[in-house]
Amino acid sequence: MTESTLFTAAMILYFLAALLYFAFLFGRKDKSAKAGFVLAVAGLIVHSGALILRTVESGHAPFTNMYESLSFLSWATALAFVLIHLRFSIPRIGPYLMLIAVALMALASSPLMPKEATPLVPALQSYWLWLHVSVTLLGEAFFAVAFITSLMYLAARDPVKKDKLDSVSYRAIAVGFPLFTLGGLVFGMVWAQKAWGTYWSWDPKEVWSLITWLVFALYLHTRIVMGWKGKRSAWIAILGFLAALFTYFGVNYLLSGLHSYA
Amino acid sequence: MKSFIRFFSSVKLAITLLIILAVASILGTLIPQGRSAEEYAARYGGLAGVLIRLQFTVLYHSFWYIALLGLFGLNILVCTLARLSSKLRRARRPHVAADPKSLAASKVKDRIKRPGPLSSVRPETEKAFRAAGYKVRLTAEGGRASLFGRKRIAGIFGSDVVHLGLLVILGGAIISGFGGFKTQLPLKEGETAPSPDGSFEIRLDKFTTELYADGNIKDWKSAVTILENGAPLRTASIEVNHPLSHQDFNFYQMSYGFDWTTTTVEVWAKKKSDPAFLKKFVLKPGERAALGDAEGTEIFIRRFLPDFVLGEGNLPETRSFQPNNPAALVEGVRGGQRVFDGWIFANYPDFAQMHGAEGADLSFELKKYSAGQTSILEVTRDPGVPWIWLGCLLVMGGLGLAFYWPTWEIRAVLEESQGKTEIVLGGHAAKSRDRFDKEFAAVAAALRSKP
Repeated sequence: MTESTLFTAAMILYFLAALLYFAFLFGRKDKSAKAGFVLAVAGLIVHSGALILRTVESGHAPFTNMYESLSFLSWATALAFVLIHLRFSIPRIGPYLMLIAVALMALASSPLMPKEATPLVPALQSYWLWLHVSVTLLGEAFFAVAFITSLMYLAARDPVKKDKLDSVSYRAIAVGFPLFTLGGLVFGMVWAQKAWGTYWSWDPKEVWSLITWLVFALYLHTRIVMGWKGKRSAWIAILGFLAALFTYFGVNYLLSGLHSYA
Repeated sequence: MKSFIRFFSSVKLAITLLIILAVASILGTLIPQGRSAEEYAARYGGLAGVLIRLQFTVLYHSFWYIALLGLFGLNILVCTLARLSSKLRRARRPHVAADPKSLAASKVKDRIKRPGPLSSVRPETEKAFRAAGYKVRLTAEGGRASLFGRKRIAGIFGSDVVHLGLLVILGGAIISGFGGFKTQLPLKEGETAPSPDGSFEIRLDKFTTELYADGNIKDWKSAVTILENGAPLRTASIEVNHPLSHQDFNFYQMSYGFDWTTTTVEVWAKKKSDPAFLKKFVLKPGERAALGDAEGTEIFIRRFLPDFVLGEGNLPETRSFQPNNPAALVEGVRGGQRVFDGWIFANYPDFAQMHGAEGADLSFELKKYSAGQTSILEVTRDPGVPWIWLGCLLVMGGLGLAFYWPTWEIRAVLEESQGKTEIVLGGHAAKSRDRFDKEFAAVAAALRSKP
């Protein structure tokens, strides 16, 4: 078993899970949703195997280049979906989140992404790499869940469904926001202090993390203090996810700065 | 004063500031920061002057951005204080007495009839509350008893703890801004430099670059000794990600360079006419050695350049202090006269050519070069840092309280009539309502099923 075999197997499992979930969406059969969930969990297990193998083979954390971090983000998205579904039993979000997981893996396997595990440059040789990146990406995965539930909220008509989607959005952010704050901002600052001698340098990636954080702070304040719910909340959650996406992806390609690794 | 407090305690101001800060921060990532006026002129033309004057080019350190952060801090402070007293009252002296009508209007409610007088049902109810983990307060007036059960009251202070943490972070940043200090310290091997406040010295004993098998950099390490009044105090190794702390100062491995004044080169001389002729010389620039031929020629290393390039006027110069294209100027000297000379290159051994008739038969190769390395350390002192970490702890603790320590309340009003007691239950949870509903139902069920 090589890492790439496991990677491909996981991608196929996620894809089949997405198909079954779509079948559930149109056929309304609980059986296909259940089968979809089994495949999603199977994909998650196989994907975990791929990440572990990658770690053992390279000897470092499996998120030091774009291929690795996309694969990890896909894994985190699948995990976030499984956890949210276990807690709130909301199979309707299955097809879209599984498709996101597949899309991230497809992007990771595109020829543009270098796949070789390279030895770590001195700046990345720290256990903070594990803490900073894994917790941040996990937080962003929960933002992805909130993004999907918010879009679905805007599209849905049934008030009962809308209510549930709105509440799951909030609960996903209630997980994602503390994780993102801890991983992205706090661990990021601690590591920056250790590696660069400054906890904050106004590097574009730092600034965009702050912007993402401000947008979700806005979400929480408008919702909890001002009682905004539903449509306006959904739009802010969507905006927040887009900011997180830009922090993760856009900053690397469009802006230059200290975070030139991945 | 009142209107001041009203203005700064409004959530609308907080939301406005969040949006303005986000938009301003985005601008700062779109406009390149801290470049030269010429660069801005080239990029933005006539707009450049305005951008510079409004400090958009040093946005995060601009007067107005810092003022925004200050307003934000003031807003957080006033907002939090304005809400704190009522929260404290709620925590310490909650309103225990309730009336059945208002309880019946709660989102979560129930009504249970129990046989037996108030005096026996009340302890039962209290027990059921306690069994579910609720702290119970009691009051009785007239023929009516009120029970107030509550758990995890700290949860209502979660947002306040987050806000306090943010204020501590802002305060820490102010301390960093005024009391912080940062400078670069290039050190040659064996060199000693005083600490910025002169209270101790730091000596670089050895600088090493570790490579992976494929030639990529694995690590830079500076072995240093801290001295006080010339006497060694401690030795330490400074690496990337492993700074050294001494007194208030931190030393970081930032970069490295070479001390080209200590260059040594190894040059091989060969004769085209005599394949057996091979002489090796290890010399410093400015040194000479006998070539070992019959005529008594000497070889002289006149110059060494780490990054050879032909500069202005076609004269050799070095482009940088990194060994990108190391080159040495070799001369043949006899009786005080230069008889041949030419540049030889470490990376291009075939490129060398000796000028002068006597050099035609000779070829030289720059086999090796070495120079002492300089380690570039960064020295910082930042008294704000501990405050930043404290603030981060508070923010995370507050978020934990706010999201995962939900305050739940169950109230009961008990009234006796004709030997039976009616319990009216009402519940309140601002967070995690679905789990609270289940727990509330379980408490009600326990009361109902009492034998």
